[in-house]
Amino acid sequence: MSSNTDSTEVAALADQVRSARAGGRTLRIVGAGSWLTAGRPCDDSERLEIGALTGIVTYEPGDLTLTARAGTSLAEIQRVTAAEGQWLPLQPMGAQTGTLGATVATSSYGPLASAYGTPRDQVLGCEFVSGTGDMVRAGGRVVKNVAGFDLVRLVTGAWGTLGALTELTVRLRARPEVDHTVAVQLAAPDGDVATAAWRWLRESEHEPLAAELLSPSLARSLLLGSDACLLVRLAGNEPFVRAAGDDVRSLGEAMRSDVEAWHRLACSEPSASIVVRLSALPSRVGALWTRASAVAERCGGFAHATVSRGLVRCVIPDAGEDSVSLDAMRELVGSDSLIAERVPAAWWRLFAKTRPTDALSLGVRRAFDPGRIMNPGILGDSP
Amino acid sequence: MPVSADLARRLAVIVGEKRVLARVGELRAYESDGLPGYQARPSIAVFPGSRDEVVAVVRLLAETRTAYVARGAGTGLSGGALADDVVLLGLHRLRRIISIDGENARAVVEPGVVNALLTRAATPYGLHYAPDPSSQTACTIGGNVAENAGGPHCLKYGVTLNHVLALTVVLPSGDVLTLGNAEGESEGYDLLGAFVGSEGCFGVVLDATVRLMRNPTAVRTLLADFHSIDAAARAVSAIIASGIVAAAMEMMDAATINAVEASIYAAGYPTDAAAILLIELDGAAAGLDDDVARVSEFCRSAGARDVRVATDAADRARLWQGRKKAFGAMGRVSSHLVVQDAVVPRTRLPEILARIKDIGERERVNVCNVFHAGDGNLHPNIGYNANDPDESSRVHVAMREIMQACIDAGGTVTGEHGIGLDKLPYMDALFTPSTLGAMCALRDVFDPEHRSNPGKVVPVHSCREWHGAPAARGQPS
Repeated sequence: MSSNTDSTEVAALADQVRSARAGGRTLRIVGAGSWLTAGRPCDDSERLEIGALTGIVTYEPGDLTLTARAGTSLAEIQRVTAAEGQWLPLQPMGAQTGTLGATVATSSYGPLASAYGTPRDQVLGCEFVSGTGDMVRAGGRVVKNVAGFDLVRLVTGAWGTLGALTELTVRLRARPEVDHTVAVQLAAPDGDVATAAWRWLRESEHEPLAAELLSPSLARSLLLGSDACLLVRLAGNEPFVRAAGDDVRSLGEAMRSDVEAWHRLACSEPSASIVVRLSALPSRVGALWTRASAVAERCGGFAHATVSRGLVRCVIPDAGEDSVSLDAMRELVGSDSLIAERVPAAWWRLFAKTRPTDALSLGVRRAFDPGRIMNPGILGDSP
Repeated sequence: MPVSADLARRLAVIVGEKRVLARVGELRAYESDGLPGYQARPSIAVFPGSRDEVVAVVRLLAETRTAYVARGAGTGLSGGALADDVVLLGLHRLRRIISIDGENARAVVEPGVVNALLTRAATPYGLHYAPDPSSQTACTIGGNVAENAGGPHCLKYGVTLNHVLALTVVLPSGDVLTLGNAEGESEGYDLLGAFVGSEGCFGVVLDATVRLMRNPTAVRTLLADFHSIDAAARAVSAIIASGIVAAAMEMMDAATINAVEASIYAAGYPTDAAAILLIELDGAAAGLDDDVARVSEFCRSAGARDVRVATDAADRARLWQGRKKAFGAMGRVSSHLVVQDAVVPRTRLPEILARIKDIGERERVNVCNVFHAGDGNLHPNIGYNANDPDESSRVHVAMREIMQACIDAGGTVTGEHGIGLDKLPYMDALFTPSTLGAMCALRDVFDPEHRSNPGKVVPVHSCREWHGAPAARGQPS
């Protein structure tokens, strides 16, 4: 498919990659530059700037798809699509000034993943400059597409180590007619209340858009009461939302909130924080969240859980690699899948156990970035 | 590659003599898949009965550097399961549902499990497996994973990719590994995402962990009939724009309706309609009838003559059977059938359907449209007599033009059937040389010797278009 992006700018990026590869220089891909290393032991000798690649390339509301250059902010995409009653329901943690390219490259998502999935479910096509300096256009602009091998899934979540994203096509959704948020007050976080929440979500016919368990200090900071709560987003037509609201009250006292609570949740993480994600089968998420909440709150942090995905996000203040945080981290590492999202650089070797070391991943890296020049080290491997 | 008596003997040691076919007469049943018009004879067909046997067979093929094609039920519509003088590895005997976890709504299954039987096994838990290709009573989960299969209800629930949580696979080298994480998040490259839809070129599935969906409390199936295809297409656009997410939204044109109604699958579709829409809405009971009323109104505003809601489960099943068996019904009308699978952006549907009609009339061919309107996933099918060279040639001209029109409209050539052999000629029009080169480079990582389903998906010539170092082509270390 022919490129819609101004191809001279992308060609210049490809030139820079080829020249860096020839000269043995490494590259750091920089978009908005909101966070560059996440504490990862990343090494680079020059920057590959994609921040200037901004703007919507095509938006046809009737198709519910949108193509934007990778440096476009999520906020800009939300602004443009909101005017048509649509949205890109990703809303990852952090300010929405982050770019679409970084969101996809890191496969970041938020509580809405319960209903809409993660970037891998929402990206339809992309353009990227590989570490070989080739311009690749993968996928397409249509919502169903199985033509050829799936390069889109391959670069989603690859942290730029296979190539720099320059343009993306995403699937949009119509905004719901009614969109209510309620906070169901729970007793102190314990396995029983969390399990009750999980069971309700599993059994109720009124599936919410999002349902997040919040530890007490997080609930307090979001002005949602003094104890732990289940923040629930009920959306659909009016009769559905009314019935769902009655239904969710079977869990406990429900306080009416609004969608702003979700924005406050997205922005709840202080920039100097240690962030780890734990995951397990949904049936075990209650116990996992209870344990993570206790550990995090003890050292001044908090934890919240996306119940239906079995995912717990644990935020601990970064107190300069002190032993309290380190002990907390050690306590969290168990049999559950742990992904270190942001940790002090010195801790990388302790906790980044998931870095790709299998033969296939190494082969993929070698095929797309044979010189190991793209964001070297950002996946936790040695630069 | 000549038939090797020695290889057949060694395969028989692994799976038993009765499970290895090497005589021409025996192999005839495996000369084609679900797509008529292509035939190729495997050198040997081998049918392992267990996971260990599959691994042993793949390792023997690796040791002898033999090419092979994995096959499930052979219902594919792209020629992807054809084995042209190479070994055919049949997986339909691996049909065990290993476990169903009702609490976490997931199942672990072997590749030969038939799609519809998984849903049947999940029913006692109030769950079902959502991807529902029309061949679901025969096609297997292994084949669905290989093709990233879709189906009518993918409009709301997503395609196979969105439902596979983890796979255990055997690579062409014989190495066994797990892709994805069945019990939590994964970090690193999404090799699972790359594997789903790789059309058997990356390896063979030994087991799949799939997500199951809760059965909706309430379902409403609507049949709307229209004077013109254009009116039906406008109704589709209006419904999508409204934000109501239908579980399925299928269109059938007059030629398809008449083929269905003349067959044993007659569903009571109005035979004088220019097009019908089969629309399903499901979910919680509260609010569902409001959506039904709005959808009916969108249809009427677009010009529907009538909109009726299925009265009960039997009525709904009958309406769906006509749709799901439409390809079969066309087989009654013509001896041969070209089946296509192009996708266009949804706003372009009215224009593309008009264009398909023009092309059909000009080339004097009988195009039947039966397709997933909500996704813009078209299935223009042409029935014809392959023994008539003039008609065959017109059919092929018409198909090429239809495909090009869909590409020009910003679409693609396959939404759910796969490239296989059938759509290989369109790959150069769809992708740039360096994009095809990148696909080849990815395949080289999984299958450096190109022994797994050779000659499919990516044109061989495009594998020169990549600037990876020669070392990248070697065996991953």
